[in-house]
Amino acid sequence: MEPLETLNETEWDVVIAGTGIQQSLLALALSRSEKRILHVDKNDYYGGAEAALSLQEAESWVQSVQKDNSTVLFTDAKIEQAPNVDEEDGPKLGFSRAYSLALAPQLIYTESKLLGHLVSSKVYRQLEFLAMGNWWVYTTDTSTTNSLQSTSEQEHKNGKLVKVPTTREDVVFSDKSVDLRSKRAVMKVLRFLMDYEQQTELWEPYSMQPLPTFLTEKFKLPTSLHNLFLALTLSPDTPANTTTAYALSRIARHLRSTGRLGAGFSSVIPKWGGLSELAQVSCRAGAVGGAVYVLGKGIAGSPTPAPTKENVSTPLNAIQLDGGDAVNTAWIVGSEADLPRSPTNLSPTRTCSRSISIISGPLTSLIHEALAEGATPSTTPIGGTVIVFPSGSLNGFADTPPVYLIVHSDAMGECPRGQSVIYASTSGKQEINALAVDCLLRQVAAEPVPKVLWTMQYEQHAGSWQEDEAVEHEGVITMKPSSLDLVFDENILSEVESAWKKVLGDDAGTFLTFEDRNSVGDDDDGDEA
Amino acid sequence: MADAGASPAPKPSSSVKLVLLGEAAVGKSSLVMRFVNNDFQENKEPTIGAAFLTQKCNLPTRTIKFEIWDTAGQERFASLAPMYYRNAQAALVVYDITKSTSLTKAQHWVAELQRQASPGIVIALVGNKLDLASPSSSSADDADGGDGGDEEADEGDARKVPTKTAKAYAEEEGLLFFETSAKTGERVAEVFTAIANAIPETQLKGPRGAAGGQRQEESRVNLGAAKDASAKEGCAC
Repeated sequence: MEPLETLNETEWDVVIAGTGIQQSLLALALSRSEKRILHVDKNDYYGGAEAALSLQEAESWVQSVQKDNSTVLFTDAKIEQAPNVDEEDGPKLGFSRAYSLALAPQLIYTESKLLGHLVSSKVYRQLEFLAMGNWWVYTTDTSTTNSLQSTSEQEHKNGKLVKVPTTREDVVFSDKSVDLRSKRAVMKVLRFLMDYEQQTELWEPYSMQPLPTFLTEKFKLPTSLHNLFLALTLSPDTPANTTTAYALSRIARHLRSTGRLGAGFSSVIPKWGGLSELAQVSCRAGAVGGAVYVLGKGIAGSPTPAPTKENVSTPLNAIQLDGGDAVNTAWIVGSEADLPRSPTNLSPTRTCSRSISIISGPLTSLIHEALAEGATPSTTPIGGTVIVFPSGSLNGFADTPPVYLIVHSDAMGECPRGQSVIYASTSGKQEINALAVDCLLRQVAAEPVPKVLWTMQYEQHAGSWQEDEAVEHEGVITMKPSSLDLVFDENILSEVESAWKKVLGDDAGTFLTFEDRNSVGDDDDGDEA
Repeated sequence: MADAGASPAPKPSSSVKLVLLGEAAVGKSSLVMRFVNNDFQENKEPTIGAAFLTQKCNLPTRTIKFEIWDTAGQERFASLAPMYYRNAQAALVVYDITKSTSLTKAQHWVAELQRQASPGIVIALVGNKLDLASPSSSSADDADGGDGGDEEADEGDARKVPTKTAKAYAEEEGLLFFETSAKTGERVAEVFTAIANAIPETQLKGPRGAAGGQRQEESRVNLGAAKDASAKEGCAC
């Protein structure tokens, strides 16, 4: 093997700890600066809490979560493999590396600033995005079925999937048996949402009240249709705990994103593991800019002031890396989990039960069915779909939080062809994730009936924080732990920007805006999509 | 032939992702600079400083557009990301014929490619710095000129890796094999032409997802298509 160059006694402008999405975006932001950057990660994979794992990596990840109590971010991880996978002719798991399973799958709405930054920083050329197609709500209430007919025929005796309407056309073209009054009410809500900010007098009195109260009192929307709008919030909470102010901004974001980058979808996901891919591409940009990358090496000890040298004005921090390398650096940036400080400010206040299931079938009918008018699977690159199981729909208890299933087809590149991946999450108990996955598979009209080949379950925790800015302390910039949201958290961008500004000072330039590097792409780059 | 000039319009053209691997300072970037710009710089700084470089290779029946990805130094601490290998259809594993350990390292990278990259990947093993060897040395020696030294050998022949040794290994693993000089340009273009020829027709993606066996892998969301925020509702264009 190549003799490892040593890092011992090296000096840096910035040491970035961890390769989660925030740190990676910072590395990208700094990639054209003249700063000397060392980017390390205690894990031997990229992506931190947003990593995408092969089956083998997932197994070691579960073991490390079970063993390691040093991070409070993940707990209760386990893997279950279907016992009959080894059957002669039965569906089988592929090889380990055929999978790229995202620990924290997130939708990126097309109006997200992130997409603009990826374009202006030119890294979008190394990424491929697929769209999340229609959204579905599982409904057990037969009155909903009658009032706003779904385009899905996938009925099950206990309930069925109803497509969430997000455009006028969706509503107008829905089934003829639709009750006109309901249609009108839905249309009115949709119209209101497009510029709800201008109509504060209407909703502000309700801002801290539950969304259903608002929809009932102001729009006379039948209760059975509330779930169509609640679904678009992706709220982890029950309807009673989902406030109008929170819900409106999230639904409006969904509606405004619809159609922006093509018909029939509102959000996109990078192929091959979502944010993990973005982290890897960003880190590569950092490397191209001269940063040094070391995986499997974290920061071992708290920073101490380095002995001051002559003619060096910036005070330096001395830190110890795993393996004993001592390095000096002006700045240290990382998340709580990557910096060896007691997570004093972090108290886990939210928990998300997640599961990742590998499914033996492609679930094509679900993913491609009933795209928007004018969109076909060949013109609209659909990689998945969102299925919402509203509060209580699985077990009848209204205080059970909703379950969200994000289904990725094989086109996402996260599983072998012919299979699919279901990412489940809920703020409730892990068991309801499994209920939802089972229920979905029973809804899918496919032969043979698709089944779960492999499941990983885990709990992810996040703390609540007051400030939006990264907390700085003597050259140490601490980033917040990853969000549990199923949507890319825009606050990350301001946090990264603030860290970037601190490091670069006044002559920082424009955030994440770069020219193409010399001699890249002589001709048709960029228009091949 | 590597030709950056205008490509004849009617020939089918396809993109091929090619990744570079090999020990530091064996001349990975120099090989690419020679191929892409027909240029060589003595004492070049490490890494190319670009996400990837592109260069067309015109074959009699088709044009291959190479997307050449440099490691950007991420191999130094074994920190290459999976995205580097992803969908790579070709790899150039480079060693330095004047440094025996660099062939050992190249063998490590070949194993890594077999583990991480797509099964059908075309791998070329390339011994660079042929200009430092005396013209006769390639056929003559069997003596595996002792390990662990970069010191110049006598008589103007600094070769430490016999052609025979590397070639035997390449044949065993089913690799293309070349010895090149990025400095003089000797056999550099041939490497890329050979790779272009070795990629099976079925593996090629057309510019518009035309390839037979492939699913619609090329279909993706175009981020440049963002419309004005006001033109959203129901717009199906």
